[in-house]
Amino acid sequence: MTLVFLVSALVAFAGSLLMVLHKHAVYALLGLLIAFVASSGIFLSMDAPFIAVAQILIYAGALAVLFLFVLMFTDTSTPGDAAGLPDAIGSRAVFDSKTAAPKKKKRKRGQLPDFPNPLASLISPKPMALVISLSLLVCMTFAIYHLPASFGSFASLPESYDTGLTSSIKDSNERAPRLVEYGTTEAVSFTILEGFPLAFEVVSLLIFAALLGAVLLARRHLAGAPSHRDARREQEQPDV
Amino acid sequence: MFDPKIVLFIASILFCVGVYGVLSRRNLIMLLMSLELMLNAVNIMLVAFSRHWAGHGAGLIPAHSGQFFTLMVMAVAAAEVGIGLAIIVAIYRRKHTADSDAAADLKG
Repeated sequence: MTLVFLVSALVAFAGSLLMVLHKHAVYALLGLLIAFVASSGIFLSMDAPFIAVAQILIYAGALAVLFLFVLMFTDTSTPGDAAGLPDAIGSRAVFDSKTAAPKKKKRKRGQLPDFPNPLASLISPKPMALVISLSLLVCMTFAIYHLPASFGSFASLPESYDTGLTSSIKDSNERAPRLVEYGTTEAVSFTILEGFPLAFEVVSLLIFAALLGAVLLARRHLAGAPSHRDARREQEQPDV
Repeated sequence: MFDPKIVLFIASILFCVGVYGVLSRRNLIMLLMSLELMLNAVNIMLVAFSRHWAGHGAGLIPAHSGQFFTLMVMAVAAAEVGIGLAIIVAIYRRKHTADSDAAADLKG
């Protein structure tokens, strides 16, 4: 478990660095995906297999595909993310994206791109952002270092938990107490439905509201652009 | 070697990488991705606390509440990404860019 944790932690760190530093959004998404899969390994090493599987299903399965779709819709080559431009967070206000945007060289069809230098595809570090995040890291490390001594090691888990329920034994009329192990789907589902049923229902409402909101926001006429129907109507009646 | 403090330290490193991403990127999609990384770091911390208290004699529901919170965070993150990406697509239709400086209509 220690080995699983160490490898996963290293891979997660590398993936997150790739995400933050890479210029191209698709590679950054790849880094995010690596970090998600590796943190599912961290969950696995902490005896939480259900969370690990849910992490892969939700984040790596659903969210990454959603991000890829939107990356496909939008042009993500913003000038501020390109290397070598004055784009520390202090100079955001004076940076005019229209005048300072570098003109892209048009590559001819069939011509191979230049040989990619791996360091050239990283964005240059932003000093102020680096200072802020590193000082936050120092504060958090200080707080973690001063945790009570009981946080020094993971104590061993109990054999099983008693749910207070009984289940029938196969081929007999007697009933036995239902025991669950830590971190299994059974235990987590018991926690959700016995411990926090209201929060569970509220989350289903939240997801429903988010679904409706996303559909409404993504509809064309709300975004200010004329819808297809309006454009067709104008074509049919040009003098109106 | 493998103890709660190390796990929390790794999670806080991931969180700070996410903070750096939010501060240094100007593309709205990259901002959302960095936010996801930060939420993921919080999830790791919650599971670590859950595992810690499970080893110190917590009952079934208290021992798993950290994992339950993780599931809630995942649901909220999914909702947030759905709405956020819809907003980004709407901004892109109006401004033809996904730059965060483009969405400054309320600046006055």
